[in-house]
Amino acid sequence: MSRPDGSTDRTPGREPLLSVSDLRTVFYTDKETIHAVDGISFDIYPGETVGLVGESGSGKSVTARSLLGLVDEPGVVEEGTLEFKGEDLLETGWAEYRGDLSIVFQDPSNALNPVYTVGNQIREALAIHQGLRGSAARERAIELLEAVGIPDAPRRVKEYPHQFSGGMQQRAVIAIALACDPDLLVCDEPTTALDVTIQAQILDLLDELQREEDLAILFISHDMGVIEETADRINVIYAGEIVERAPTERLLAAPEHPYTEALLNSIPGRTPPDQRLPTLDGEVPTPDGPAESCRFAPRCPVAVEECHETPPDAVAVGENGTDHSAACLLAGESEPEGEQ
Amino acid sequence: MATTTPADNRRLLAPLQDDPKLAAWVAVGLFLFALQAGAVAHFLTGLVADLLGIFPTAEASNSVLGRLVGLFEVAQRRAAELPTLLSRDVVPNAGHWNGDRWVGTFMGFSPAVSWGIRVTLVYAYAFTWVVWAVLGYRYYREQYRVADWTPRDDIVDRFRSHGWGLFGATIVFLFVVMVVFAPTLGPTTVEQNMESSYDYETTYWNSETEEVETILTGEANLNSKSTGDQSRVMPMSYDDFGRFHPFGTLPNGRDLFTFIVAGSRISLVIGLLSVGLSAALAVTLAMTSAYYKGRVDLGTVLLSDAVMAMPQLLLLIMLITVLSDSWVGEIYSGGFVLALIFAFTGWTYMWRSIRGPALQISERTWIDAAQSFGQRPWTIMRKHMLPYITGYILVYGSMTLGGAIIAIAGLSYLGLGVAPPTPEWGRAIQLGQEYVNTGSWHISLIPGLLITLVVTGFNALGDGIRDAIDPQSDTGTGGAAGRGGGA
Repeated sequence: MSRPDGSTDRTPGREPLLSVSDLRTVFYTDKETIHAVDGISFDIYPGETVGLVGESGSGKSVTARSLLGLVDEPGVVEEGTLEFKGEDLLETGWAEYRGDLSIVFQDPSNALNPVYTVGNQIREALAIHQGLRGSAARERAIELLEAVGIPDAPRRVKEYPHQFSGGMQQRAVIAIALACDPDLLVCDEPTTALDVTIQAQILDLLDELQREEDLAILFISHDMGVIEETADRINVIYAGEIVERAPTERLLAAPEHPYTEALLNSIPGRTPPDQRLPTLDGEVPTPDGPAESCRFAPRCPVAVEECHETPPDAVAVGENGTDHSAACLLAGESEPEGEQ
Repeated sequence: MATTTPADNRRLLAPLQDDPKLAAWVAVGLFLFALQAGAVAHFLTGLVADLLGIFPTAEASNSVLGRLVGLFEVAQRRAAELPTLLSRDVVPNAGHWNGDRWVGTFMGFSPAVSWGIRVTLVYAYAFTWVVWAVLGYRYYREQYRVADWTPRDDIVDRFRSHGWGLFGATIVFLFVVMVVFAPTLGPTTVEQNMESSYDYETTYWNSETEEVETILTGEANLNSKSTGDQSRVMPMSYDDFGRFHPFGTLPNGRDLFTFIVAGSRISLVIGLLSVGLSAALAVTLAMTSAYYKGRVDLGTVLLSDAVMAMPQLLLLIMLITVLSDSWVGEIYSGGFVLALIFAFTGWTYMWRSIRGPALQISERTWIDAAQSFGQRPWTIMRKHMLPYITGYILVYGSMTLGGAIIAIAGLSYLGLGVAPPTPEWGRAIQLGQEYVNTGSWHISLIPGLLITLVVTGFNALGDGIRDAIDPQSDTGTGGAAGRGGGA
């Protein structure tokens, strides 16, 4: 299409900032064993935005928490490697890289501790990562609040989270994440709890910060519309597995996996105004064992008999050099979508 | 560093120069403190000397510890000479009638009136401190705090309209003042009246010979016994030696009020020590098990179940007997051992109550956020979890304290725990037990009523705090009906 596929930030020789391969996070409860993240692999290069999209319960947040080492019992990251700057975090631990990886959570009102002022919480991160204390930390906190677009920062820095609106709170959370001076920002549905106008502002802010600080962003959302706007490359996750990956333009133009297609169809603008928005029946299954068939098959509109018997592997689709793969038995077989 | 100090000083003192109200408030605080500075110094130096004296090597006079102890004892004697407003010497009540007027009492009033003045003065002084603190808090809220409103304001407001909680707070206030000023409040002192009564003399007006005579205090006690209908000194009356007894006398002729006031100190100190220790244990374990969850949590559950399964009373009796002759057993007349046993058997209940809220808090996102930017686990627990469970600690702590006071009284009623010469409420009840159905009913009744009142007070305070912390609770009675619906 208009842009050379997928080559945005992937100049040859540049190492990925974070390379996730075959990540498996399993929750052992008394009743069942849930494979919440079941063999996920993706790379994030410096300065790019990678999208991770999927509906509720598909394992997006568990992926984010696994990346940051925040999986609580009874969850265990069982397998895989998380290579960050060349070191496997699962082996070395996060201690040295805390702050290089920051996270912005979904609900800002819950991510800020209501008993401390916003400034106090920014200074907490500053003290750990930049060794700033006293008036230096106070000044830096004000600068950070200004950087995330909070007006009247010198006054606001002394206020409590409840005195902030939702959008302001999310800006403050981003300021805390920035206080760690991160290389990779994991945004776990950062705009889901906000209304649409605020959502646009936060997205603009992230975009701006990314350009200024050369941040890599892993953007997690259930909203294809938001992902489409922000991400350079998109990973579609379903029931703990990545079912399709492609550069944004490519994925939008030529989705290979029926699930991706269904997600795209659910973006309101893509359906003519006089038609019903197409929906998928059913829910994401809970992956409680190794895959024995395509997990999407029960809901898939085009599933054939084989789909219920064989788990599909990710196969490269599209022309050579495009980073486009889909985990579907039917992928690549069918005729190319839309225009040639 | 030296260059920054003057600047910092200026910043610290600047509000005092700009704000006359604040300056006045600080001045009043300093004045109130100055009135009792001698007593505070006396208490602190004595405390240090006693603490150092606990160690076995302190007895050798040439050891470093021994010298330190000596040093602080001298300091304590010096401090005792500093004038204080609320000492027994300023408003004395131990005087005698010389035929036509009272000698040695405050401005020639009767001993009862002098004693009353002193008690009033003590409570007025304590009350002034409370008013001072409340005014200071209000002024801070209006002038200095940045936020117009914090969630804690609601807690304070809810507590202020909670009648039962205020009743509890009042009782606890009265009790704590009694504990703090115990030596001043009694009409006589433990040393003069009980511990070494044969080293002191009492001067009195002998109405038969119509002359002023002296008698050993111990002998005077023998003639002021309350044992049944014939010989008794009832509350708010004088004995034959012109001594005033606000609560009457014990069966051995000693002053019941002095006994109770001194006993209140023991009760509260042991209670606070045991509740403090068990709260510290409970909070640490609750936060650790909530933060790490899983096996750590399971391990703590097993540990607490094991401790709960031990029969507490049996353990108490056994350990008190075993340890009674050892050096730990002698600290604070055996009260220290008692506190330790209470703490190590009692933390489980508090831990169980706090674990739930702690688990709830550990699920909040800001814990994850702090973890994600690399805050140390212990700091996360202290900074991001502890503020949410302090309320629960206050509630359970205040209720456990009542229980501890009952337990201590119960044990000394049985003759266990605090060793006999040291006054304890439970022993007063036990001493008066034989005379309950005679004219000397006051001996058991007064301490019994006081225990009930104090324990009720602590529980009421706990209830009040609980309701104040919980935004869903209905505050107070009657007038609250309109407000309750809005929440």
